[in-house]
Amino acid sequence: MSLFLGISLGLLWGFLGHTLRQKTKLSLVAVSAWLTLLAAIVLPRVFKGGYLYALIGTAVSYVTMSSSHRLEKLWETLTVSCICALLVFFGQNVLVGIGGRLGTFAAVSVFIFTIPKAHKGLINPGRE
Amino acid sequence: MCRHALILLPLIVAALELLSPLFNHGGSLVCLTLIFVVFVIAPKRCGFRDWQRVLPSALISAAGALATFLLANYLNLGPLVASAVVGLAGTSFFKERHQLVLYLGAFVGMSSDARFPSLTLLIAAGLVGGVLWEVLNETWNGVGGRLGTVAATAVLVVLLTLGGGL
Repeated sequence: MSLFLGISLGLLWGFLGHTLRQKTKLSLVAVSAWLTLLAAIVLPRVFKGGYLYALIGTAVSYVTMSSSHRLEKLWETLTVSCICALLVFFGQNVLVGIGGRLGTFAAVSVFIFTIPKAHKGLINPGRE
Repeated sequence: MCRHALILLPLIVAALELLSPLFNHGGSLVCLTLIFVVFVIAPKRCGFRDWQRVLPSALISAAGALATFLLANYLNLGPLVASAVVGLAGTSFFKERHQLVLYLGAFVGMSSDARFPSLTLLIAAGLVGGVLWEVLNETWNGVGGRLGTVAATAVLVVLLTLGGGL
């Protein structure tokens, strides 16, 4: 249940981040910081064990700092958000207390999605 | 290519943590070797010359780290709120480039006080973060989470070299 909720909240934060990037003139940092603030203040108060969800929301807010060249469409951002939520959920005991840990999860998530995308011609040359 | 070696440090440490039963002391040795190779060899091989921008970036990053750490631990805001507050404050005072550097510093400052019992080490990590930001500037462009990865690299470099290990 908590994994499902974490992924759902990750998708919601991914949607919010993508929308803010597309529809407003907020800077990269402002979008991420507002989403982080929202996650950190709201989620621990609403859900039991909500700090984990706040971490997921924060990591996904870093995902949404990707350039449109890397993540162009909404479904791409949502896919990476889902991957990121999974990484945060299952990587809770990795790099504990190290600043930048969530950003590292976000970057790995982006690469998990973008590297196969960039090389899909190599994997399935017939469809290119 | 040589710049990728350093930015991958957090992932190497994470992998070593997961495989820690297999590598007791070998993990730190691998990381220290990597740091040595990258700091001694990479700047020459990469031809990095724009050193004038390093000092402002290092200072801004250190300021971000210190502000976040103090807000998180001394005002008990917690690392998430503290980093967001510092990031938002940066958007009011800095242009986009320096906003990013300050936010990078904020990520460094999200480290726990168990990792950084002294502020001196934290400031050192912030300074290293600013230096790395300039050295690794063209690496992983447009990848969300790049700032965090650079911050984690800076924290790990300082903890492994000056902080007595992880």
